[in-house]
Amino acid sequence: MNRVYLYSDTFLNLLSLVIFLNAQNITPSNIKPENYTATLFEETINLKITPSKNLLPKFYQKAPSIFKIMYYVYLSSHPNKELIIYYFYLNFLKYHNKVINMRNISWVNDALKIAKYVSHEAHKLKGFIRFTELEKHVLYAQMEPTNNIITIVSAHFKKRLPNEYWLIHDTKRNIISVYDQKDFYLLDATNLQLNLKTTSHTYEDLWCTFYDTIGIKERKNNRCRLNFMPKKYWKNIIEMRNNHAQSNK
Amino acid sequence: MFADIINMVFKMELKEKLQILADSAKYDASCSSSGNSYTSKKGLGSTSYSGICHSFASDGRCISLLKILMTNCCIFDCKYCINRRSNNIKRAIFTPEEICAITLNFYRRNYIEGLFLSSGIIKNPDYTMELIIETISLLRYKYKFNGYIHAKAIPGASVALLNKLGKLVTRLSANIELPTSTSLKLLAPDKNSEQVTKIMGYIKEHQSKYFAPAGESTQLIVGASNESDYVLLHKSSSMYEKYALKRVFYSAYIPVNQDKLLPSLKIPPLKRENRLYQADWLLRYYNFKVDDLLSEEYPNFNLLIDPKADYALRHLEEFPKEINTASYYDLLKVPGIGVTSAKRIIKSRKYFKITFNDLKKMGIVLKRAKYFITCNSKYCLAPSLFKKDFIESNLILENKTPTNSNFKQLSIFHE
Ligand code: SF4
Repeated sequence: MNRVYLYSDTFLNLLSLVIFLNAQNITPSNIKPENYTATLFEETINLKITPSKNLLPKFYQKAPSIFKIMYYVYLSSHPNKELIIYYFYLNFLKYHNKVINMRNISWVNDALKIAKYVSHEAHKLKGFIRFTELEKHVLYAQMEPTNNIITIVSAHFKKRLPNEYWLIHDTKRNIISVYDQKDFYLLDATNLQLNLKTTSHTYEDLWCTFYDTIGIKERKNNRCRLNFMPKKYWKNIIEMRNNHAQSNK
Repeated sequence: MFADIINMVFKMELKEKLQILADSAKYDASCSSSGNSYTSKKGLGSTSYSGICHSFASDGRCISLLKILMTNCCIFDCKYCINRRSNNIKRAIFTPEEICAITLNFYRRNYIEGLFLSSGIIKNPDYTMELIIETISLLRYKYKFNGYIHAKAIPGASVALLNKLGKLVTRLSANIELPTSTSLKLLAPDKNSEQVTKIMGYIKEHQSKYFAPAGESTQLIVGASNESDYVLLHKSSSMYEKYALKRVFYSAYIPVNQDKLLPSLKIPPLKRENRLYQADWLLRYYNFKVDDLLSEEYPNFNLLIDPKADYALRHLEEFPKEINTASYYDLLKVPGIGVTSAKRIIKSRKYFKITFNDLKKMGIVLKRAKYFITCNSKYCLAPSLFKKDFIESNLILENKTPTNSNFKQLSIFHE
């Protein structure tokens, strides 16, 4: 029987489980979130480990770059991410901080690649997120990122728009980040009801005007634009909405 | 005031103004070409200026700043510029409050990182500078805007005004435009290169945490005058040294005007512009010298092959380089290996002997590099194929098949 170990879906729980399994010398055939349905040849085991309270800050202090890589892999949508984290951690125990140079080990290489991909997407969205203004000066943005990067972008906008009230809504995962001029909180948005109306579209119009004006037709290069601003994001980028609607026809 | 009168006479919707003044700023040959941190205390914005692109224009260029002219009215008549006095085009002028409103509202909605403000010369250079200073003061003091601001210094304005502007902005620039004073005299008869170099010298001397903290940049127009790449590159390399510039921008001349003094181009020399950017990069980060790449006898870049591959092909005796032993700068000489790859190789080879397979795993693209390297003394192809003709034709062929890596992000909009 293949043993699949389950964790309730937070980074803290996953990390605790990975550390525990390693300490006990248990090699899991897989690690999955609790809602996982096992196949015929799998047996699921839920150890329900209570994580030690300051595991995250402690680990972060000990090895910040390793922590970041594991956390980013966790945020990815890679189907095998838990196992990759498990083996990356195993190699970390063996090679310590030098593990990040061991790209000839595929688990390590995979972890580094995925972490890079996640941080890359977060970076892109820091630019592509578009707020609209609702009543009472509240700013609201929707996004559908491939990876679960809402925490990363929220931390960015906390610094960038410290004196605003803003909401960032991941419509794919249905989570919303709410910022109250001090800190942001992640909430489940399944039953979200926004009772705020949008205000005037003057600046949205002006922005679209600017956007349409600024491209130089002698230099037109659609492939290059697509390369930097993939179509999957267009839906929520206001100046691309018309293009988006057209290309879906 | 003069500007107010113009505004009253030509009453115009904000939208139309934005259209005109963004349109006249988009050509780099127009007084408008194009990091560091203002930390956010109270007020709007932080500039952890890590090169965030907010959008990409239809020409593929990164948009990170609201790039506009204060006005496209101009008393000068630079031959290459769409806004020159002798052109019959629609003119407009923003009020300082209008610019503030657009900047702030675009910033909050996350459309832009900041403002790039330049201007045609209205009335006289000092008056124009004063308008720019008034606008940016409003943004900084009245609206507490801490975001990125890049301003163009107006040639001919007084030193006192230059000093004032430098303290308000994140980056300050002055465009040299043409590599020799002869061609500047010919094509921009109202400008003189001394005025521009004086400004550049002043900025260099005063540049600090409080004065244009993100430093200084300048621009050269490519293809409006007849200097060779060799002359252009020598000019930039000497300016990098003399003025500690952050960037020299190269801008392919886009034929907006007909003039007997201008070359009759049909399409802008984009490939040439690209080659100059690549070469500029090699000079700044790869330890190349201008004379490694070009000479009096070989004054222009090969448009079929990028400068680094061109160098390698003309110095084949230095190759192939052994991945496991070559020095950092030797690795950098290999076409297809950049700074990230070279660093990655150096770090990794301390722990294991690198094979071709490892290189692939490490994310190093071998498509071009494979002709110029060995791994543990093994050449990737049959050793008899290590010949100039063979490699050259393969590299050229490959350039013709489009890949994503053929695009270089033109970041004329930020920095
Ligand atoms: S000074 Fe020359 S380049 Fe600048 S706006 Fe006027 S005409 Fe154009």
